[in-house]
Order: sequence, then structure tokens, then C-alpha cells
Amino acid sequence: MADKLLELRKVSKSFGGLRVISELDLHVDEGEIVSVIGPNGAGKTTLFNLITGLYAPDGGDILFEGTTLLGLEPHEITSRGIARTFQTLRLFLNMTVKENVMAAAYSHTRAGLLRSVLRTPGMRREERGIEQLAEERLAFFGQRLMGYRWNQPAFSLSYANRRRLEIARATATSPRLLLLDEPAAGMNPVETHEIAELIGRLREDGGYTILVIEHDMHVVEGISDRVVALDHGVKIAEGTFDEVATSPRVVEAYLGTKAASTK
Amino acid sequence: MNWNLFVTELVSGITHGSVYALIALGYSMVYGILKLLNFAHGDIYMVGSFIGFGIIDVAGGATNLGIPVWLLLFIMLFCAMLGGGLLGVMIERFAYRRLRNAPRIAPLITALGVSFFLENGAQLVLGAQYRSYNSFSWRSPIALHGFTLPAQARISYAGVIVIIGTVVLVIGLTLFVQRTQLGKAMRATSFDREAASMMGIDVDQVIVATFFIGSALAGAAGVFNGIQYQQLWPYMGFTAGLYAFIAAVVGGIGSLPGAVLGGLTIGLAQAFSIGYISSTFSDAVVFAILIAVMIVRPSGLLGRAAVSKV
Amino acid sequence: MSTDPTNPDAPRVGVDEWVASHEQRRTERSGLLGVVERELARVPSPAFYLGFGVAAAILPALTTNGYIINVGVNTLLYMLLALGLNITVGYAGLLDLGYVAFYGFAAYGYAMLASPKFGLHWDTLAVIPVVVIATVILGFLVALPSRRLVGDYLAIVTLFFGELFATVYQNGESMSLLGFTKPHDITGGPNGIPNIDQFNVFGSHIQALDYKAYYYVALIFFMVLLFAVYLVDRSRTGRAWRSLREDPLAAELMGMPVNRLKLIAFACGAGIAGVAGTIFAAVNTAVFASEFDFTSGLLIIVYAMLILGGAGSLGGVIIGALVVNVSLEVLRDPGHATWVFYVLIGATLLAKLRPWRWLAVVAAGTVGFGFAVHAIVSSAWPRGVHGTAAVGGALGSGLSHWVILPSNPTTIGNIAFICLVLAVLVLTLLHGWVQKLAMIPTLYLAAFVWENRLVVEPSITRLILVGVILIVLMNARPQGLLGTSRVEIV
Repeated sequence: MADKLLELRKVSKSFGGLRVISELDLHVDEGEIVSVIGPNGAGKTTLFNLITGLYAPDGGDILFEGTTLLGLEPHEITSRGIARTFQTLRLFLNMTVKENVMAAAYSHTRAGLLRSVLRTPGMRREERGIEQLAEERLAFFGQRLMGYRWNQPAFSLSYANRRRLEIARATATSPRLLLLDEPAAGMNPVETHEIAELIGRLREDGGYTILVIEHDMHVVEGISDRVVALDHGVKIAEGTFDEVATSPRVVEAYLGTKAASTK
Repeated sequence: MNWNLFVTELVSGITHGSVYALIALGYSMVYGILKLLNFAHGDIYMVGSFIGFGIIDVAGGATNLGIPVWLLLFIMLFCAMLGGGLLGVMIERFAYRRLRNAPRIAPLITALGVSFFLENGAQLVLGAQYRSYNSFSWRSPIALHGFTLPAQARISYAGVIVIIGTVVLVIGLTLFVQRTQLGKAMRATSFDREAASMMGIDVDQVIVATFFIGSALAGAAGVFNGIQYQQLWPYMGFTAGLYAFIAAVVGGIGSLPGAVLGGLTIGLAQAFSIGYISSTFSDAVVFAILIAVMIVRPSGLLGRAAVSKV
Repeated sequence: MSTDPTNPDAPRVGVDEWVASHEQRRTERSGLLGVVERELARVPSPAFYLGFGVAAAILPALTTNGYIINVGVNTLLYMLLALGLNITVGYAGLLDLGYVAFYGFAAYGYAMLASPKFGLHWDTLAVIPVVVIATVILGFLVALPSRRLVGDYLAIVTLFFGELFATVYQNGESMSLLGFTKPHDITGGPNGIPNIDQFNVFGSHIQALDYKAYYYVALIFFMVLLFAVYLVDRSRTGRAWRSLREDPLAAELMGMPVNRLKLIAFACGAGIAGVAGTIFAAVNTAVFASEFDFTSGLLIIVYAMLILGGAGSLGGVIIGALVVNVSLEVLRDPGHATWVFYVLIGATLLAKLRPWRWLAVVAAGTVGFGFAVHAIVSSAWPRGVHGTAAVGGALGSGLSHWVILPSNPTTIGNIAFICLVLAVLVLTLLHGWVQKLAMIPTLYLAAFVWENRLVVEPSITRLILVGVILIVLMNARPQGLLGTSRVEIV
């Protein structure tokens, strides 16, 4: 059995009186691509926020590589090996494409203020390494983010390229687990297809384990080893895409009781 | 236990706190709608104070009041509120309107600039010396006389006027915000400006109304401060504005009852610190309260924690 | 680039590469200006800084005027302050409105360790590091409770801290620990700390009022720190600060420890202010708390410098400090100030009024209007024109025939000032030829207010000017002279 890279045990989260996540058990094995689906408001992004440490769960535990993540600051969780993208895109807009990616290499580098000012050989080597890392990460996306693009401010990128840049930036933190929050949102069919391919390549060539939130069922079907369906913070189905897609509870959650009963 | 000191400082705290509360209301209202710290707000309070002073001057000045005191008070309040309100509207229109969608630092720096301009403009036009609402026939009825309180403490008529005036204004504001159409529009806009404009609310009009009302309250506070404590000078807006803003933050910025609670809290904290320790340490005490609230309850005593979607 | 649809490698209309490279072509200027711009962009910034350093180093050799050197020292001190503030505000995006308190703390610190006050006369090589480190620690302490605060809250907390500092030091002539100990005179209260030692290193010391020596000391410190900040900006810490400014949440989630970075930014800014503070104390030989509170305008002036130059730009720090401080100095002398006033108005009209015929109309109209009004007033009310212009010479006598100069200008000048403000505001609401015509009486009114009120009270006028600079700058060009215009998600 593959190692459970990420494990959530009976995780719960409420905001005021609203139960957003309820006793959730979830795990992602190393090398898997797991998709999380569910209607809006099902708690999917909250799930990501809990894993990355933005919120603390009210109950339960979150384990990564066997050790708990509770109580850690978000940046510490990132340096342990979990990186994410955002549903609403949060790039560093006024920095260049390359700088966006270089910035994310912070947690695995060490040069402090003094060494930066003195430009020690160690610091300069590290800087070159950071640049190289950024170029490699950007090269993953083909020619779209290469060449003259490196020095363009991020706000000049098209929407699809911004999404790619955000993924590239996340990979620069040298993660083992990637959390992609609706990576295909707002894309046309050609771009959506590319993203699906890209996610596959991220696992094959990059070796990342991937947890994806996605609405586009074609993408989910194409990439997932396993699918988890949430509704109102509760896991209502888990399995392969076919198993989940035909599960009556899932159909009911998306389409209503009548639709479920007619299946 | 020195009860006289206690009651005296209690009275001082409540009257000062009322003034802070009125100013804090304006801060809170504008911040709720525009997420803007209007640094110039305290200077509107200063202008209101001087408008009141001007009215006294025109009505016969220090020794020769030509009209009854209550009428004079009424006119002063009216003019200060009107003048303050108009000044606030002008500032919004010419300094802040273009910056509604600019990075947050831009309107903040502009507000600093407006504040500085008003303070030094007032210094140029009015001179740097302290003025006073003092007037013999003026002081006599309301500032020197008053009620006797337990423990031989006193509250002057002026102090009573300040407290009652504040209560009236706050009740009026609450009714306005809860009951009128414009008030509802203001609340809606402070929740979500874009959505409000899509629901047919004229956001510009709401913002202008907010500035007018908030600034009018500051103008009233200026007159209240003058009749109770007499002294005015061009930089008075800066210090009062600072304390009032802390009051708004402590009470919960964006919350109107919070502004009142915060104002009273800061006023009382100041009064008791000055009375029992020293005036220098009163600043330190206020600072400590601010830091404590920021750490323990960042949204303020009565504020809503803003939940934003990540 | 052809747009041949049969060629699979050719860019296609609407696909982002094509659009993006089209934009690339359009942002370059054509002609000579374009060539100059491109060549300038190729020169790396350190070359400019070096150029400035050399020019500044030569300056004292070119003049024996002690006043100019003094202005130079003050400008360099301002540059240091703006440099430190640039880290906190420009790089990390933290609005620190209590920044000047660090400056004052360091100045007082130096004064306490190198003056007769406590009988300590430490060697400069000891005082400066101790004071700077103490200021850095103070920066940490202020930042610690503030690190979770978002922009506006941070601004208020730091502003209050700054005022608290000034108040405590202003009343420090009898401080006791909450009444438990006897009162001690720690800060000298309103009288400050006088007779501060000059810099001395191993026995050799700078003469008092030797501005030239302090000029070079300040210049050396500034150049060293400038390059240090430049190098940090191009390192992982600089990138992290900029990420923090862009989006603190995203920065945190990309592995950057946002709270720690804020602390470091604050501390660095405070440290640089600390260096400036020690020089300030030695140059001025006395420190007073009132110099560091809000009403002195010091904070606003430093912010104006930073904003004018462009927050986040090191070149902007130099230019902003230079422009603002030199302007403020010029304003001290009524004669010079008046020249600058009219030249500036003329230059603005020249730059903004197109086409030329409008410029001619407004200029001629204002002059004619002025003479006409002057003639009417001098015949109807002679006492209205008895005053004298502040500036001498030909301009002065010309002005006294053009501008109305009452012998008792104060009250009417004040009213005119308020009218002028209203007139300018109304002017921004008008358009077309109505606006141009309305400029004529407004310009005349401006001259009237200048000659009768503003130029006579230079200390207030300079502060009003700073306020106006901030308002106009933020509305017209928020990125300042050398900053790049920023995109922000609101």
C-alpha cells in the first residue's frame, strides 16, 4: 500500500453557527491525483485553507507525511512540502513573471540580510540556483512563459497564462503535494484540455502528488485516480470517477432529489 | 477612597467621551463605506469649533451677548454642523473621489495631506494663539453653574448640555440609519459597495450623505468641546481626532454603537489616568488599551469580524 | 511577424503572444526621445547612484557658502530618513506613521551618551553602534504587537506611538516610575538636551558647526546604506518584501514568513533612522522633543519626499528628498520664493495649456486684468495699494503696480485665501473655454494671496505647500516621479 502522504481524520470546521466541514476523513496517497468535487458552498476551498494552515480545525487532525500540521504557521506548512493555487488567482501582479516564481523559492534558501549585502559566494551561488529553478519551473509550460515573458510584469499576462504562472509559482516551493483550486476555471475548451494534460504531466514528469478541486467533469474524469465528493461539508461519495458520478447521493446533491430518483 | 476625585473624573470622562464618541461616529461611518481612514476628520471638528466661536463673536462677543444663551447655542450647533458637513462633502468630492479604486495607500496619504493643509491653513488664517469660548455672560449661566453631585462633585450645565446633546444626536443617527431609505442604503453600501450599486443604489449619493452626516457630527462635537472646555487652537483636531479614531477602533470600526462605546471607554480611561496617575501616563494607558484590544479582539469590542473569501 | 493562417507557427490574432508583443512595440517612444529613453534604461541603477555620489562629493568644493553646505547636510539627513522609510513603506508596504519617533529616539540616545547631561562623553565609535542597535530593538518592539495589523490599523497605531514618544520626551524632566521612585530629569523636558558633543574618534573631533565635515560623514553613511539597500532589494529578502507588499496572504502561502519579514522591515527602517538621528544630534548640538511631533511636519515632509520620488524606488528617494528640501529652503527667503512662485505658475501653464493661443490669452488676460483692477482700486481706495512687494528689484516694482497690496493685508488676505481655495476647486469642475477664462481672475487672486499672506509667513506656507503636494500628487500621479504605476486588486 502506498504511503498516505496527506491524511485528514475527522476534521471539522465551523464559522459561527455554520458547520462548513463535518467529521471529514480524507487521504491522498503518494503519487495519486485526487479530485474533490461538490456543489458550491460544499466546503472545498475551506478544506484547502485548513490543510494549508489558514484556519485551524475545530476538531480532528491533519497529518502530512505522518506528522500533524496543527499549530503550524502557513509558511511552515508550505516549507514542509504543501503548495497551493487559488480559486481567485493571487499573483504578485507588479512583479515580473520570473520574480513571481523566484520569490516562492524563499523557504528552501538561506541567505540572510548580511550575506545579501556582502554578496558572499554562497549567496551568489544560491541566487543563481534560484534563477535556474525559476526558469526550469516556467519551462514546464512550454514556450508560453519563456523568453521575453520572464521580464514582463505579471499583470500583463492573459488569464490563462496567469493560471499557469500561479501553478509554476507553487511548484517553485519544491512541494511534494500540490493543491490546485479550480485550475481550469474560466478557460475555454482548448485551454481546459491543456490544463488537464498539464496536471497529468505534473504527476508523471514532476513527481508531484496532486489534490484538485474542479467543477469541469471532463477534466475530473480525465485526470483522477480517485474522486471525493463533498456536499455541505460532508463526504458523500468516494471512489473512481464512474463510481462517484453514478452515486445517487452525488446526483441528488448536484441535481436534486427528483433527478436522483429518476436514475 | 476619594469619592470626590472619582466622581469628578467620572463626569470628565463621560463628557470628554461624548465628544470623542461623536467624532468616532464619523470615522466609523466613513471607514465602513469606503474603508478609508479620513485623517482630516479631526480637523473638521476643529473647523466646527471655530465656526461656533465665530458665531459667538458675531452675536456680540465676549461681554455683550445680544440674544438668549439657548438660542445662541442652537445657532452655533446648527452652523457648525452645516459648515462641518459641507466641508466634509467638499473634501470627499475633491480629494478622495478620484481615488476610490486606487491602492489603499493613496487615499490615506491624501487624507494626511488634507489634514495638514487644513491645520496649517487654519493657522494662517486664524493665527496660532489659543482662542476661547469665554464670555462672562456666557460662562455665567452654563459654565460656572450646574448641578451638585454626590461626594461634593459638580457637573456644569455645559457638561449636561454636552451629554444630552450627544445622546440626542446618537439617537437621531440610529433612527436615521435604521428607519430611513437613505440609512438603509448606507448600511447596504457599507456591506458591499458593488452589489449595492447593482441594486440601484446611487453609491455616490450615499457616500456624500455619509460624509455630510459624519462631518456634521464632528462639527457638533467641536461646539460641545468649546462650551465645556473653552479652548480652541488650529491643531486641536489632530489630537482629538487621534483619540477618537482609537475610540472607533476599540469599539469596533464600522459599528455605530461601537463608536459610542469606544468613545466613552477612551474618555473614561483618559480621565481616570489623568486623575489618578498623570497626564503623560494617560497617553500610555490609552495606547495600552489600543494594543490590548488589537491583540485580543482585533475587530473591536462590538465590531463584526470581517470574513473574506480566500 | 506575418499572420499567415496556414503557418502553424505564426501568431494568430487574439492569441496572447501576438497581443503581448504588439504592446511591446507600442510602449517605446519614437524619435530622439525614444533613443534617449532606451539608452537610459540600459544603464544599471548603481551607475546613477554613483553619479549622484560623485556630484554630491564635489559640491562642497564648489562653494564656500556655509548656508548651502548646511542645506546639503539637512538634505542628506532627509535622504537617509526617506531611505529607511522606503524599506518599510516602499518595499514592505507597511504604513508606519510613527517613523519619526525612531529618529528622535536615536537623537536623544546620542545626546544622553555624549553630552554633559549625564556626564557621559563616549567616543563616537561606541555611541553610534549602541544607539543604532537600540533603535533597531525599538523598531522590533513597536512592530511586535503591530505585526498582525492590516494597513490602516497599523497606520493609526504607529501614529499614536509617534505622538506618545514625543509627549513622553516632552514631559521627561521629572519622570518617576508610576510614582514609586523619586522624579528624575531624564529627557530635559521642553528644554531638551543641549551642548551635545561633536563626533569624536579616538580623541580627534569635528569642530562645532563644521558643516562640511558632517556633510561628508552623512554622505558616506548615505552612500553605504544606499548600496546596501540596493543589494538587499535584489536578494531573496527584497523579493519577499515585495511579495509581502503585493499580497501578504499569497506570500505566506508561498513559504515566506510574513510576520517575521514585517518585523525585519520595520527594524531596518528604524535602524537607518537611527543612523540619521545620531548625525542630527551632533550637527544641531541640541535636541528638543517638539521637533519630532506631528505638528512639526517632519513626518509629513519625509512622506512627501518619499511619495514624490516614488515609493519603492531608490532613485526616487534621492530625487524626492532633493526636490522637496530645496523647495522648502527656497521658500524661507521671500525674495527667492516669489521668483520661484511665479516661475512655477508660468511653467505649469506652459506645460498644461495647449494650444498656444490659449496660453497667450490667459497670460495676457491675467496681466491686463491685474493692471485694470489695480488702477481701479488705487483710484477708488488709495490705502489699498500702499504696501510693498516682498521681493526687491525689477520684479518687485513691477508687482507693486500689478498686484493690490493693501497696507493692512492680514484680514483681507485671509478672506482671499479661503476664496482662492474655493476658486481652485471650482476651476477643477469647469471645462473648455469657461475654465480658461476663469483661470484669469483665479491666477490674479493667487498672486494677491501670495504677496499679501503666504510670502509673509514662510514657516506656515511651507507646511501648507507640503500638504498640497501630497493631495495633488496622489490624485494626479500616485506613483511619484520615478515610481512605476502599480496595478492592484482592490
